[in-house]
Amino acid sequence: MKSLPPRRAAFGILLLAAAGQAVAQAPAADYSAYPCLSYSLECGKLATRRPQLKQLDGALNGNAEKGKQLAQARNGGNCLACHVMKGGSQPGTRGPDLSHYGTAGRSDAETYSMVYDMRTRNLDTLMPPFGTNAILSDPEIRDIVAFLQASK
Amino acid sequence: MRPTTRWLALAALTSISALGLATAAEPYREQYPPARIDPARGVDGDIGFSDTLPFWRTEAELERNAKWVGDPNEQWKLNWKFMDLDRVELHPGHLAVDEGEAMAARLSQRNPAFLLCLADGGSDLNGRAAAYPKYDARLGRIVTVESHIEHCAKTVLSEEIRQGSPANNKLAVYFKSLSAGMPIRVDLGDGKLMESYRRGERLFYAKTGQLNFACASCHVPGSIMGHKLRGETPTTPFADAAHYPTYRTPVGALESLQERFARCHSQMRTLQLKPGDPAYVDLEVFMTVLSNGYPVSVPSAR
Repeated sequence: MKSLPPRRAAFGILLLAAAGQAVAQAPAADYSAYPCLSYSLECGKLATRRPQLKQLDGALNGNAEKGKQLAQARNGGNCLACHVMKGGSQPGTRGPDLSHYGTAGRSDAETYSMVYDMRTRNLDTLMPPFGTNAILSDPEIRDIVAFLQASK
Repeated sequence: MRPTTRWLALAALTSISALGLATAAEPYREQYPPARIDPARGVDGDIGFSDTLPFWRTEAELERNAKWVGDPNEQWKLNWKFMDLDRVELHPGHLAVDEGEAMAARLSQRNPAFLLCLADGGSDLNGRAAAYPKYDARLGRIVTVESHIEHCAKTVLSEEIRQGSPANNKLAVYFKSLSAGMPIRVDLGDGKLMESYRRGERLFYAKTGQLNFACASCHVPGSIMGHKLRGETPTTPFADAAHYPTYRTPVGALESLQERFARCHSQMRTLQLKPGDPAYVDLEVFMTVLSNGYPVSVPSAR
């Protein structure tokens, strides 16, 4: 490897990466219910859903193991895209490290409303409004909160 | 109803309708806090932005920093420029130049006016791509290399070579390869072009889709740029337009800049627009102004 010119070696790496990456072309989902950049289509005129402070209704009753799966799944919460968490591979580094979230002493209710819509805390947050924009359902958010609280 | 109550009810009704009107005209939309970009600086605007430009600006710098290729923490600073031109081994992006050339020759044989149209009445295409996108007063719209190819094919040959099609991309790669190494020079003195730039700039910061992301959520300082987003590390938008259409190794196909926008939008869970959509044209103008002064870098791979 050392004897190869660096540029060519670099491309060798990328070719391997490409070969291992069978791009699954899922059918394009319909996101026209959310704002888009079009000047003419209806979604171009849609408003952003406003920040919503959602209270946790009753006891949490979340399943931490399911929450862990959801946090890792790219089509679930994909929390790992931005956060280091317990388990999973290739975590992101932009958000706070959540691998010991359960030791922070935050309540289930507070955690639930943050996952539901972080904009209620910080309008400029990069975190998607998981509840307000229906990315995750109420039971799914409860599972993720349970996983976070169990992360010690 | 007592007079005060009636007055309150009336006031409430009026304010609701006023709010309704305001909402109809200007819906509540969020935007990512704008970074300060001076279009006049072109690619130099990256200084004070991602500050990675010194690492990838020249061949010599890329050579010097080649040790970062494959390094998960450092590679993003090279802005993938080690994948441009002949810096990497032969790949389908290189082959597309030859295919595009053969295609252009074939089409020009059918009607020499095709090449004349592509060259805006000139004798060859050399160096012309570096001035795109530009405002075409006769057509009354901003023209990209891809839309220009589509237009010439349609008007001269009555043939559909749609933007975003493999044939259009091959012709565009060939066209742009004839400007390879020449500094991009989008005309900032053109008022129509600057209007487009400003619209594109607004779109860059507009939050859209189910995830409520803007382009800027991943591509300005303080955002995810330079941080890990699972397997990726988002890079600077400066000089990005310079290497399109590019051969995408994960996709196994050529992809134009506007097709890339659409792919990003699908990942952002936002409705994808079609290549040539006026919003994508404005975004391309914005992105290309951020490449002004940087050489056209086609063919390339990503």
